Amino acid sequence: MNLNWRSMYRKIAVLAAIVIGIIALLALPERQQNIAGWLVSTTMQMATPLVLAGIGGMYSERGGVVNIGLEGMMLMGAFTGAAVTYYVRNPWIGLLGAIAAGGLLAAVHGVVCVKFKGNHIVSGTGVILFGTGFSTLMLQLVWKRQGQGELIRDTIPDIVIEPLRGIPFLGSAFSVISPVVIFMFVLTAASWYILFRTPFGLRLRAAGEDPSTLDAAGASVEWTRVIGVIISGCLAGLGGAYLSIGYGSAFAKEMTGGRGFIALAAMIFGNWTPTGVLGAGLFFGFLDGLNYFIQIYFPVLLPFSNYIAMLPYLLVVVALGLIRKSVPPKGIAVPYEKERRG
Amino acid sequence: MTEPIESPSQNSEDSSRIDEFIQQLIGKLTSRAFKNQVFWSLGSIILALVVAAVIMLMGGYNPGAAFLWLAVGAITQMDQVLWYASPLILAGLSVALAFRCGLFNIGAEGQLYIGAMATALVAFLFSFPIVIHPLLSLIIGVLAGAAWAFVPGLLKAYRGAHEVVTTMMLSYAAILFTSWLVGPNGPFWDGSMVPQTPRFKDTALLPLLFGNYLHFGFIIALLAVIGVDYLINRTVLGYELRAVGHNVDAAEYAGIDSKKKIVTALAISGGLSGLAGSTEIVGTYDRFIANWSAGIGWDGITVAVLGNNNPWGVLAGGIFFGALKAGGNVMQTLASVPVEMVKVIQGLVVLFVAAPRIISWLMNHTQSNREDVINRPMKTLPRLLSASFGLASVFLGLGVARSIMLTATPNLMTTIAAIILILVAVTGVLVFIADYSGDPRGSTILLIITVGWLEAAIAFFVGGGGVEFTSISMAVIAFVFWLSMRILAKNASEEGDIQ
Repeated sequence: MNLNWRSMYRKIAVLAAIVIGIIALLALPERQQNIAGWLVSTTMQMATPLVLAGIGGMYSERGGVVNIGLEGMMLMGAFTGAAVTYYVRNPWIGLLGAIAAGGLLAAVHGVVCVKFKGNHIVSGTGVILFGTGFSTLMLQLVWKRQGQGELIRDTIPDIVIEPLRGIPFLGSAFSVISPVVIFMFVLTAASWYILFRTPFGLRLRAAGEDPSTLDAAGASVEWTRVIGVIISGCLAGLGGAYLSIGYGSAFAKEMTGGRGFIALAAMIFGNWTPTGVLGAGLFFGFLDGLNYFIQIYFPVLLPFSNYIAMLPYLLVVVALGLIRKSVPPKGIAVPYEKERRG
Repeated sequence: MTEPIESPSQNSEDSSRIDEFIQQLIGKLTSRAFKNQVFWSLGSIILALVVAAVIMLMGGYNPGAAFLWLAVGAITQMDQVLWYASPLILAGLSVALAFRCGLFNIGAEGQLYIGAMATALVAFLFSFPIVIHPLLSLIIGVLAGAAWAFVPGLLKAYRGAHEVVTTMMLSYAAILFTSWLVGPNGPFWDGSMVPQTPRFKDTALLPLLFGNYLHFGFIIALLAVIGVDYLINRTVLGYELRAVGHNVDAAEYAGIDSKKKIVTALAISGGLSGLAGSTEIVGTYDRFIANWSAGIGWDGITVAVLGNNNPWGVLAGGIFFGALKAGGNVMQTLASVPVEMVKVIQGLVVLFVAAPRIISWLMNHTQSNREDVINRPMKTLPRLLSASFGLASVFLGLGVARSIMLTATPNLMTTIAAIILILVAVTGVLVFIADYSGDPRGSTILLIITVGWLEAAIAFFVGGGGVEFTSISMAVIAFVFWLSMRILAKNASEEGDIQ
């Protein structure tokens, strides 16, 4: 009963916030509304790699394998996406390559963690180092330069929604949108369905919570976990590719800039649920967007940009302290051994 | 310093203690666990170097020259090696200590920045005599780092906020905050073009030990290793931290206040990170420059996991990383292999360290295969040949993919051929694994690799690259292997039926 009231309050609060937001938005003059729309669109763009990798990490950790290697997988995806697109001149094949590359690196992590029962954090650290080093090395081999690869012209084309064009807020927010951004929302819904409404999702969660039950039910814990890890790598690779051939248009050395770790934080902040990860990812994306917003629209504050950029991170810490307890899956990071030797 | 004169009896007791200690040390060094540890570490490094050599060959570099100059660079520049190593050791100790208490201090980088900033303030704002000044500034740095990690500790213990998120967020906050402090309009900016503080007072700088780089920070790192080892293994607090790390519930049941221990562990961990930043800023630099640390805190995580969260392991891991860094620069200039190769090697080493069972798997199957070759050669030899065919597929697949990308005009089909070849190489690894361990699924994988080689040849032909003989012959060989394996399996099952 108590819990019910709490969730009611929360729902009412969210609803009230949305209503107040819409009213405030409508009260603004048109130019400001467009700026707000721009902020929304930037938020979604910045959130996309975080949410993709974060939901990926969720698949891995729900299955019981800690995946701190998201950063390395994103970098592999970013590089492969850019390189394949550079050669083939087709961004979609580039995306496929990025997904494969991320999945491949994740498969290594999965095999090391599940088959050879290695330490998940050690292996994840190895994946980060390998992904960072290998992508930079290949950058020099493919483009014969250092730091940044050649500009890629055939990036993922944006979808233009004509009817929204003229409308003040919606026009600047949603009229030009990348298919990957749309995929982010689709993925969130699909992941929720997969995780909580399909047999595979049930198995995955069982592998993370209580593997011996899954084993008793006759499913393979090892395969379930490895598949979870591979999915996480594919999604992280896709998120990385969005940076190099979607939002940006070249691969640069270490271009993810710690987004893999932020995605990890978003996953924990979102309490290992798809919707939670989406919310946390959008929030972190909003922080990035806000930073650009200040740089463009309030150049007076430019000298303080570092200071202002710091505040949201502190806010996250305060929010985490105030709001909720994070509860990871129970069997996480514990290798499963049939008939464990006493 | 005047020590009280010791009585002879005490003296002899001391010497017997030293004997005992040496005995213990020898016992430890010759123990099975230690030997295994060394064996596994060396095995991981060798395997990592082999894989790295393959990558270098595919990239068109000369692995022999690369490894030679890497080793020469590391050995001839011991001062640089230890200089690179000292902050890594301290940061590694910080992460390792937190790990022992079951906490993942991913934000060592931020604690390092805050520690360095606090040290910098003492170093350029105040004047003290020679020894006191660095000592005081280091202590302030440690306290600042500890304070920065104390907050996540409190949040973790009393509010259940996950330390990975809080320490990382505070880490980004610290980097941005210090950048603002020393940047234009910040209170500690020196007014130049670069975001940095004024120069430190000379009294604050740490002395050099030898060479051009190595400063007193290395001695501090060594002392910290001994201190952390003592803390973890010889004190009540250390025991309690480890108990909490093992099992919080059991620790609580034994009367340990796990919340306090979590806070303490993170605070000490932050203090060590702060010390890493402090020694580096007054040892190597003479002012605080924004974003000065190139990921020392992140490398600290790697060093900690490489050293298995054991202080002495962290020491070895830190020196190993320092050697790779120092040698990597030489490798880049003299063998013209990009310094990023070092990162690849580091990653591979860590991956192999993560799974000691890979090495024991290899050892076990080598042993059983050797016996099988002697006892039942007719059954084992085709299997082993097929395993070596898998390895050959790895090399040839990557090699042909590389030559396609370099020579042929890149179009859709040739790129697809290259991608298929890379997948073939991955399948080759699977063939090796399956056939080397005698897994019956080996023949199925052989069929897959046959199809892969064929597809690559077809894609290359369609893409206008002409006929690619290597792929076709590999496909034929794979098919022959598959057939012979099938026939052997059939014979074996018939034999089984008769028996």
